[in-house]
Amino acid sequence: MSDHSHSTQPPATHAPVTRPGETTEVHGTVPHAHAAAAPAAHAAGHGGDHGGEHAHGGLGTYLMVFLALCVLTTMSFFTYSSAWPWRDQPQVGWAFMMAVSCTKAMLVVLFFMHVLWEANWKYVLTIPAAMMAVFLALMLVPDVGMRTRMVAQERALYMPRQSDVRLMERAAEAGNAERGGEAH
Amino acid sequence: MSAPALSLPHGDGHDHAHGHEDGHGHHGHVTLQYQPGLPLSRGKLIMWLFLSTEIMFFAALLGSYVVLRFGSPVWPLPHHVHLSEPIGAFNTFVLICSSVTIVLALEAARADKAPQAKLWMLLTLLLGTLFLGVKAYEYSAKFSHGIYPWSPRSRVFEKPDLYYGSAVRARLGEPAIIDKLKELDDTPADELTAEHVAARGRLQQIRKLVTNPDQQPFDLAVIADQVMPLPSAGSHGHSSGLNDAFPWLRLPAVIPGGNMWASTYFLLTGFHAIHVGVGLLVFAILLGYRLDHARAGMIENAGLYWHFVDLVWIFLFPLLYLF
Repeated sequence: MSDHSHSTQPPATHAPVTRPGETTEVHGTVPHAHAAAAPAAHAAGHGGDHGGEHAHGGLGTYLMVFLALCVLTTMSFFTYSSAWPWRDQPQVGWAFMMAVSCTKAMLVVLFFMHVLWEANWKYVLTIPAAMMAVFLALMLVPDVGMRTRMVAQERALYMPRQSDVRLMERAAEAGNAERGGEAH
Repeated sequence: MSAPALSLPHGDGHDHAHGHEDGHGHHGHVTLQYQPGLPLSRGKLIMWLFLSTEIMFFAALLGSYVVLRFGSPVWPLPHHVHLSEPIGAFNTFVLICSSVTIVLALEAARADKAPQAKLWMLLTLLLGTLFLGVKAYEYSAKFSHGIYPWSPRSRVFEKPDLYYGSAVRARLGEPAIIDKLKELDDTPADELTAEHVAARGRLQQIRKLVTNPDQQPFDLAVIADQVMPLPSAGSHGHSSGLNDAFPWLRLPAVIPGGNMWASTYFLLTGFHAIHVGVGLLVFAILLGYRLDHARAGMIENAGLYWHFVDLVWIFLFPLLYLF
């Protein structure tokens, strides 16, 4: 980048990394002020950015995305309702909800954060971060399997078990009968 | 656009810069040319870099949650910990709406419609505040059931064992509670509702069992169930135990896996709420400006941050409320 800053022809260096709409604007600016490379850069930074993006988006697009997000939220909320067919297999619901969440996230990133219409720099910033995030999550995976294999004696003493849940559920059945009987 | 003060030298940049200063002297100092490495404004670049670190921050938090969630021997169901799924869904809707309004604020500012942009920005601020308000209501519902993220205040026990029994006994033996219980015993039955009379009868039975050491054996799970039954699905987190009938009682309650759940729930939603709060602060500051074309960059950066906060909640809602 340092050699670029000494260059007298910044529009040429800019061209490969800007999107089509912006490049034409930059080229359009240059003939008017031949000595003005900096104004061209300025235009790319502010005016060009603005002019390019305003052509995209628009109220209609945003409302469609909003509707899609609402429908998707209702879809993942549907797993909570009694009409959801896989109530005895929670894994199906989990996979479904994660798929819905990823779709919603993509919609927000692409349209609301304008990433769909950005130049190629978006890959430079988002792909390494996404890789790091995935790697971070993957590094934790062994812990899922190992976590309960070795526990301290003290923790084992206080740790609940499924039998405790069953104990509470049985007590609740008896208690509800009693409470229900008293109420009537 | 073609400001001569920003023009680039043709030959050797150094000499020209000095000559430039003599010739025009707009600012009285050397104007250096800045060329961005990436074709976007510095503010936006920094915001995206910051968001990259935020992605990793929340990925680590969510990853830890998944490890704890699936590595725990017992994890409470959402209704066991008094979570209301419809309230969570409503909050999701509120955040999605606020994402739309901030986008519209940016569009209005780009079109140089400052009053309109300010209106959308104000609406975003209000929606964000509504989100925090609902969150605060949810937190208070947890607190009222004795679910706290830290140990001295939390009244949640993992299982109905002897430790639980002794905690119930200790609570019933506190002087303030003894006075209150005496007051309750002395209240004539016609001053109480039918449910309260029934609840009082059950409470007296429990006191007899727990406080007298030479009693017949009794089931601590039954005591725990009387104090705060695990709410059933579809009850929206409401239960009908003694703690609900007499809120001052505040007896220890049993929620298997409840403490680990509370730690992760308050950590995840707490960090998210802090992010929401920071966003609201930024919006409040921006509302002090005239939100015209010149401020579009600032609004865009604030919007990017806000969409990220929305993004995190998109994953938090199903993971915490529906899993």
